[in-house]
Amino acid sequence: MKKHRAGSGIILLLILVWLLIPLIVTIIYSLFQNWTGIIPRGFSLKAYAEIFSDPAFLSALGRTILICIIPILITILLVLLALFVTGLFFPGLERVVQIICMIPYTIQGVILSVSILSMYVANKTFLGNRLVMLTGAYCIIILPYIYQGIRNGMRAVNMPVLIEAAETLGASRIYAYFRIIVPNIISSVIVSSLLAVGIIFGDYVLVRNLDGSAFQNIQIYLYQAMKSDSMKSSAVFVVIMAVTFAISAVVLWIQGHQGKHSEKTAK
Amino acid sequence: MKKRKNLYLLALLPFLVVAFMYEIIPLITVIVNSFQSDSGGGFTLENYHTVSSRLLYQMAVTNSLKISLISAGIGILIAFLGARAAMNVGSRFRRVFMTILNMVSNFAGIPLAFAYMILLGNAGIIVQLGRTMGWDALANYNLYTSNGLAMVYVYFQIPLSTLLLIPAFHAIRKEWKEASMLLGAGSSTFWLKVGIPVLMPSILDTFSILFANALAAYATVYAIMMNSISLLPIQIAGCFVGEVKIQKGLGGALSVTMMVIMVIMILLTSTISKRFQKGVKKA
Amino acid sequence: MSYIRFENLSKNYGQKEVLKDINLEIEKGTLVTLLGPSGCGKSTLLRCLAGLETVSSGKIFLDGKDITDISPRDRGIGMVFQQYSLFPNMTVEQNIAFGLKIKKTDKNIIQEKVNDIINIVGLKEQAKQYPSQLSGGQQQRAALARAIVTEPKVLLLDEPLSAIDALLRHSLQIEIRRIQQELGITAIFVTHDQDEAMVMSDVIHLMYQGHMEQSGRPTELYTKPATKFVASFIGHYNLLDAPVMKKICGADIASESIAFRPELIQVSTEPVEDPDSYMIPGEIAFSLPHGNILRYAVMCGDTQVDVDALFGTEAPYCIGDRIYLSIRKDDCIYL
Repeated sequence: MKKHRAGSGIILLLILVWLLIPLIVTIIYSLFQNWTGIIPRGFSLKAYAEIFSDPAFLSALGRTILICIIPILITILLVLLALFVTGLFFPGLERVVQIICMIPYTIQGVILSVSILSMYVANKTFLGNRLVMLTGAYCIIILPYIYQGIRNGMRAVNMPVLIEAAETLGASRIYAYFRIIVPNIISSVIVSSLLAVGIIFGDYVLVRNLDGSAFQNIQIYLYQAMKSDSMKSSAVFVVIMAVTFAISAVVLWIQGHQGKHSEKTAK
Repeated sequence: MKKRKNLYLLALLPFLVVAFMYEIIPLITVIVNSFQSDSGGGFTLENYHTVSSRLLYQMAVTNSLKISLISAGIGILIAFLGARAAMNVGSRFRRVFMTILNMVSNFAGIPLAFAYMILLGNAGIIVQLGRTMGWDALANYNLYTSNGLAMVYVYFQIPLSTLLLIPAFHAIRKEWKEASMLLGAGSSTFWLKVGIPVLMPSILDTFSILFANALAAYATVYAIMMNSISLLPIQIAGCFVGEVKIQKGLGGALSVTMMVIMVIMILLTSTISKRFQKGVKKA
Repeated sequence: MSYIRFENLSKNYGQKEVLKDINLEIEKGTLVTLLGPSGCGKSTLLRCLAGLETVSSGKIFLDGKDITDISPRDRGIGMVFQQYSLFPNMTVEQNIAFGLKIKKTDKNIIQEKVNDIINIVGLKEQAKQYPSQLSGGQQQRAALARAIVTEPKVLLLDEPLSAIDALLRHSLQIEIRRIQQELGITAIFVTHDQDEAMVMSDVIHLMYQGHMEQSGRPTELYTKPATKFVASFIGHYNLLDAPVMKKICGADIASESIAFRPELIQVSTEPVEDPDSYMIPGEIAFSLPHGNILRYAVMCGDTQVDVDALFGTEAPYCIGDRIYLSIRKDDCIYL
């Protein structure tokens, strides 16, 4: 049995090493001026100083954050309203909402972006605006994650019973939904929004196809930097990965918290 | 009462409007476009004929299928070993392992491509290391081929597939293993006769997710290869975004081809998966 | 006139008739139980009264008012659910105050009422805690407090104790009954557990397949089952069909079948001739102790008859003993 455990430990370590090497190497790369031999030489934070003083980088970062927030808020609102209607009044329509929400999961970025592009590119109204298209596309691409997050949250709090309880106590369904259900699923909403932030933050396909390079988000910035200066781009890489990891750390932390919470309730 | 209830349908409207404007109708448009000639005119199968007869597009289909199948297959294999190993170690180690997987699962696209170019590109750190040490396998590694690229695909499959499989392993009850041991079966017999059949539905589901994941991957490949490899996503994007004029019809046909491949894979895995389920509830 | 009245109430789910023409009256201040096996429609009936289900036809009156089409929030009912239904983001206190707040009650009065009710249900120490910090029993006490603090016209309890373990369940049964009587609440309690119904109710309404099978005080249902179903569901009646009775003891019965309780059977080793009793020969098949009684399974021909004897009064019979059962004809129920 002991031997078994050691063997398993080795397998896990190998997987971890394999997964972490590219990350670690790139981080080291960003910190040294010269790495042509085995040992990197010339420690320097120059690359970081450079990107953080580059207005193009800062505005790319700002743009990325902005384009994260708007679609996420829109999608959360849409899904909350849709699930309000299906959960309380038309349970039969739940299936339709679910299918619509899960389609983007299978078609993914490339097809979604080209289909939106070919439909609106010639449109003369605001719908033909590249940023409007991009926002629409982001709303759709994060739909599965937001939907599942909110749906799971509702399941975990046992929404029908809570609504009924509130109703017998004299509250209206609308009051019960927005004052009891929504506050109780807020952590699920946060988790799914963070996952969505991660997706939009890491997006290259949609922004490239829908906006050419006119809307330079952080990924486009990295892509362009890669062609010229690899030390600078490795610093950009580190910033992107740091943000991504910070997001997943927060998600994991909240989920761990939730897990403990619901375990206790189950007892 | 009934009338008021119908009033609530209005709250569903914004969702439907956005979904139709940016998901349903665009998708339908792509499908419709695929049956229309780029040079004008009515219904035609010309675009599908182009896809099936031009070498470039045949290559795109076969390359995409090959790289998706291979990377999903290897991904599943490693995930199986990883998830099984994760069950055998202490819970603290398992948590650390899963946390790292979770974090790395967001590591894809352009940053991943970049890291691999630093590592295994023509002047990559590991390639140089191979040269100095005289390890030919590393020194001659070429990231810019479809085999070299497969490595990157496998990389982004591993965290996802392992995370998807670990919960399924929780369904393998310790009592089953103990019972089979008491009945005289060894570990490999147990996995062959009980473990893998029970896990099979989850393995197949995961496989189809990995397959779709690889099939649709775009940013990573594009950053490494630009347009020098023929893969479905690259060709599709090329039809719409590029120097030449937009080819809605051809791009539509390629998109439909890709969707059909995905649907076939989903149907295939779910059919096989049903045969494994029997009395077993899906984990 | 009765306080709550169901008039020709029916409920269908598509083709399926869940409630068939229910007529039922409930007196003010009583605790009545809707008892029956799962799927008999008891919960649906309760939910119709609460307004959580719409009725297909028929009317419901509460306190002289037709409430059939009134929304649940305006009916003046309190309800305790089977699943834990406390709002997880609120403390016990906040949960209890919820209904009063909705009614825009004065803050001081809310505080006073909440404190009173918390004392009554014995949750003083848990007042500031969140539902996830409470045990199942405490959660249901809080849910009860939340339901009654608004002084509803009727309190509905939908199997509130079914998720709670046996020992605690008994003490909660007694406690709910005490609170109901103390505050003079009209309450309807739904359960599938006949012992629970016996302990708690003024009146039991036994339901079966969507209709009322029998209504009455607990002892009435126990001693005078009106149908075969009641006899088999309540008590532990031996239920024998006429031809079987003819075969095992030669007696002719006018009715379709006969029912008698295991504890009213006399056992002897010699035949006893008594014109007022049935005498059935049999053989002890096995015996099982049930608390303070010993239950014998006696094979009379191919038919098993259960017989209860008090433990320890005399030497028990052994498996294979040939014995005679005598049952007084007055103790039998003809169905």
